[in-house]
Amino acid sequence: MHLTDTFQSALKGITVNVNRSLLTMLGIIIGVGSVVLMSAIGSSMQGVILGQISSLGAKSMVIFPGSSEGGPSALGAGRDSLTFEDIRELEQLGTITTVAPIIYGAGPATYGKEESSAQIFGVTAAFFDNQNLPAIEGRLIDTSDVNGNRYVALVAPEARDKLFGQEDPIGKSIKVGSNHYTVIGVTKALGSQFFQSADNRIYIPYSVARQVTGQKYVNYVTMTATESFAVAIDDVKFLLRRRHGIKNPADDPKKDDFIVHSSEEAGQILGSVSLGLTLFITTIAAISLIVGGIGIMNIMLVSVTERTREIGLRKALGATHRDILLQFLTESVMLTVIGGLIGMVGGVALAVITASIVKNILATYVFAISLPSMIIAFLMAVITGLVFGITPAKRAAELSPMEALRYE
Amino acid sequence: MADPSVPLIEIQDLSKSYFNDGVETPVLFHLNLKIHKGEFVAIMGPSGSGKSTLMQILGFLDAHTNGEYIFQGEPTQALDDDALARIRATRVSFVFQAFNLLPRTTVLQNVMLPLIYHPTIPSGERQKRAERAIELVGLTPRTDYLSSQLSGGQKQRVAIARALVTNPDVIFADEPTGNLDSASGVAVMQALKKLNDDGHTIILVTHELGTAQHAKRIIRIKDGHVESDTSDFTRLNTESAHNLK
Repeated sequence: MHLTDTFQSALKGITVNVNRSLLTMLGIIIGVGSVVLMSAIGSSMQGVILGQISSLGAKSMVIFPGSSEGGPSALGAGRDSLTFEDIRELEQLGTITTVAPIIYGAGPATYGKEESSAQIFGVTAAFFDNQNLPAIEGRLIDTSDVNGNRYVALVAPEARDKLFGQEDPIGKSIKVGSNHYTVIGVTKALGSQFFQSADNRIYIPYSVARQVTGQKYVNYVTMTATESFAVAIDDVKFLLRRRHGIKNPADDPKKDDFIVHSSEEAGQILGSVSLGLTLFITTIAAISLIVGGIGIMNIMLVSVTERTREIGLRKALGATHRDILLQFLTESVMLTVIGGLIGMVGGVALAVITASIVKNILATYVFAISLPSMIIAFLMAVITGLVFGITPAKRAAELSPMEALRYE
Repeated sequence: MADPSVPLIEIQDLSKSYFNDGVETPVLFHLNLKIHKGEFVAIMGPSGSGKSTLMQILGFLDAHTNGEYIFQGEPTQALDDDALARIRATRVSFVFQAFNLLPRTTVLQNVMLPLIYHPTIPSGERQKRAERAIELVGLTPRTDYLSSQLSGGQKQRVAIARALVTNPDVIFADEPTGNLDSASGVAVMQALKKLNDDGHTIILVTHELGTAQHAKRIIRIKDGHVESDTSDFTRLNTESAHNLK
């Protein structure tokens, strides 16, 4: 029997009952489709996170106050371990540059009758350097603004839209808390960072923020490593431990009252996130393909029983054991191949739809597909067809022609 | 070319038993038969006599338990499954009582089916051969009909065309008129008779004397033994009449 005849016989077997074939394929369609969709979302999210990391700059670092003991809730605002003196000494280190202390708060901002709540960032000129954040209108906060305690403000696009609408904000006076600030510029949009908009911000000089809040500590510090992260992080830890009187020769992060992160670590976190995602997708794929495979085996067994007389006839006409085995195996593989293709097309279509919806929330989300995942999902579907097709195909091939012909 | 003096089919002391859960049920006992090329033989007998079992053994669908089956001068005892499949594909063919056509499949495709298992007929020749076989049974206008669109008699003629298409050495017909009305039955038997006139060897299994009478030789089987082997219809008719009394 030629291979083309095997294919034609198998195709005939599938097309004789299209609805049943489609239902049989459903498990495979869902399995492959969900893998393609999930991996496409994974790729897109990877793009978003990578974009954020590269926007931070390749050598970007950040110091948070607090201890890693007790988990993330111990992080961030409210902790007062990072002092102005710490900053002054950090600035002296040779292994880091653009040291930018940040005083952070949130509050209402008003322009005329427009009032809007915004995130208020007290920053130095170095902040815009290490964040790669340019102004799209007007100018950035510079050293003379900070040194001169000038009440000026730089608004991010969302904050500008809320306060000014279509109006040109440059030179206008806004009120933040009980003080008035003159708007000097608008920053480039950052999109969202960790599912929170980074564009509803108002930047004011660090010195002014200190004055207004009376805060004796900074909320966090950003900077750039001049050489390797390892050396820079060691230097920062050594300096802060010495200043804070912490003895920590074993480098136990629980003993520190600060946490240093680098964009390299963010990359590593991303790596572990995508590893987790891959495992997750693989699990989904494995489960759904096994379920799909069992479905196929089930229907193929029914089909073999239903077609016992046909098998008997084919054997009476000269079909060998191998001919029948191949015909039924080809049928089940064909079911998984067609199911896999439908799943791939469906998964890509859903990924495109997902991208168009998520884009409204997360501007940097773009449609991306993971070709290796698609290929692996498809191959796994084909292997499923082979593995789960073997039992029914063997059962068909082993039928005695005479008994099969007599089957009622 | 095969030696014409060598029988096409020869069985010597052939027996067959079925085994169910270790219990032996003998069906055929020490049969001896010779069938030559070009014969039209009817194997007759009541149900349970073993006639269908004999046909299945002769047609390589089932194996015998003891004795010898010599096909075209060659013993068949040692043949493996693949060799038997090859014989079924090239040397023998079948017409069944229940037609056994593939559903939702055209007449042409049904008749072409045996050719996909034929090792030497090129695929380019299949359609031409099938069309010729369909023409021989007078169904050319129905070539593209689905098997379900045909009458019983037409279905059986398609089955005959299918049996014919590989040009086998022998065609086995198992109760070919059993599911047909008498007019269709006559048409089917005439088709088989025509094939025999054209030189095909035909072995017919039936329990109806009327059907068997189309054959040139009748072998009667009863309780697994050959009861009679004759072409004398007169005597058979007398016996039947006697039995009816």
